[in-house]
Amino acid sequence: MSLRHVTGGLGLLCAAWGGWLLLRQPEPWRIAVWLGGAVAVHDGLVAPLVFAVAALAAAAGLRLRGVPRAALIVAGSLTAIALPPLLRPGPAANPTVLPLDYLRNWLLAMAAVALVTVLHAALRALTRRAGRRA
Amino acid sequence: MRFTLPPGPPVTFKARLHDARTATAIGRWLGLAVVVCFATGVLSHYLQHPPGRLADLLPPRPYWGYRLTQGLHVASGTAAVPLLLAKLWAVYPRLFVWPPVRSLRHALERISVAVLVAAALFQLCTGLLNTFQWYPWPFNFVPVHYAVAWLLLGSLLLHLAVQWPQIRDHFTSRSPGTLALPAADGPDRRQLLLGVTAAAGAVTLTTVGQSVTALGALDLFAPRSPSHGVQGLPVNRTAAAARVTRASLADWRLTVDGPRPYTLTLEELRAMPQHDVTLPIACVEGWSKSAHWTGVRVRDLLQRAGAGPDARARVVSLEAAGAYRVMEMGRLYAQDPLTLLALRLNGEVLSLDHGYPARIIAPNRPGVLQTKWVGRLEAA
Repeated sequence: MSLRHVTGGLGLLCAAWGGWLLLRQPEPWRIAVWLGGAVAVHDGLVAPLVFAVAALAAAAGLRLRGVPRAALIVAGSLTAIALPPLLRPGPAANPTVLPLDYLRNWLLAMAAVALVTVLHAALRALTRRAGRRA
Repeated sequence: MRFTLPPGPPVTFKARLHDARTATAIGRWLGLAVVVCFATGVLSHYLQHPPGRLADLLPPRPYWGYRLTQGLHVASGTAAVPLLLAKLWAVYPRLFVWPPVRSLRHALERISVAVLVAAALFQLCTGLLNTFQWYPWPFNFVPVHYAVAWLLLGSLLLHLAVQWPQIRDHFTSRSPGTLALPAADGPDRRQLLLGVTAAAGAVTLTTVGQSVTALGALDLFAPRSPSHGVQGLPVNRTAAAARVTRASLADWRLTVDGPRPYTLTLEELRAMPQHDVTLPIACVEGWSKSAHWTGVRVRDLLQRAGAGPDARARVVSLEAAGAYRVMEMGRLYAQDPLTLLALRLNGEVLSLDHGYPARIIAPNRPGVLQTKWVGRLEAA
């Protein structure tokens, strides 16, 4: 028996333990709906959207590589973690919960990412031109 | 009627980098984040609900322990968001592998991956929303988040075992499997990985300020901010939520139960030897902040009731209801010189929201166990 088998066996045991704990919850099917729903939303909505944007960009002749692609990844990730405070309904429990202006912060972050991307592109264009002159 | 499989998959992917090297490179970091998140989460679970005899063995040192581990729990979970999305992007074409099922083994493998993906997405979503005190689901967060954590760790270990040959062959940029991939993809992949790393760094930097006070200025998206709080400290449960009012505290006395029970007025408590400690409040939701506390040592109060040096403590709050109204404190915590029944916070009398007239502050503990509005202390 190799370490690979031990790891796999241990994994099965841990997963079975988690599954057993879930089955002991009241109405476990409600949890199953949320587990399945998470996959459905990602695989059926989020991922196709990302691939569709990439396909549209390619069709428009945009090359989403290097820094512009990295900028989109950073902006998308920041947006993902900014969604809960932006969308959460209902008032906060007290003024120290969600105390920030999250919309302003999100706009600031997007502007910062855009600024870095544009500066990088400008810098590269400049160094290229300088290189050509030399 | 016979069902025949179409000759090809419904979707094909022309994009590059959906290969084993990209999946392995992102998977290494994602795996590390999941393991850190799991270990710190299980630790927090047992600190918050110590099972029976373990309660007396829990160490109150290092005093910053829970602040570090719970800060890491939320930070690693947050950093895992871009890592998980990038990882799923890399392997997404495998969802449309043709034929969908080749054999029983292949079917089981695909089911285990589905469980892994479901558990990972579920944990990150529920964990993140919990830090924002947003509960849109019809189940109890704590036991379900705990159960799915085991499901996630288990399916991750199984995934590592199943995919081991692939992982080994693509572990570094010079591994044989990596070298067999188109060399032209190398620089492109490096740039992609740099982008993903930048995203993980960006989400960490813009949220970790809620627990690393020095980075508070960069805190853009965390549910808490070190600069927002009564007496310099954020609040979770307010006096109003606990239904404690100034009027209800007019005749406040501290009752200490033990072999020689006694009661103390606030004046008498203030006349006892006072001690200053600097300890953080560290919440299970990830935020934490250090503060200066002044008050009476819990062990002095227990001793005065005739309790021995091995005494544990039970602390009862005046709050009307709540899962943590009665708090059990293990022997090592109760006897620690840093564990206070605090009367003052950052140089001022405790505000009502911070537990006036007296609250517990102890080292290396989840915030919910730092009981506020203490009315009764029992040597146990």
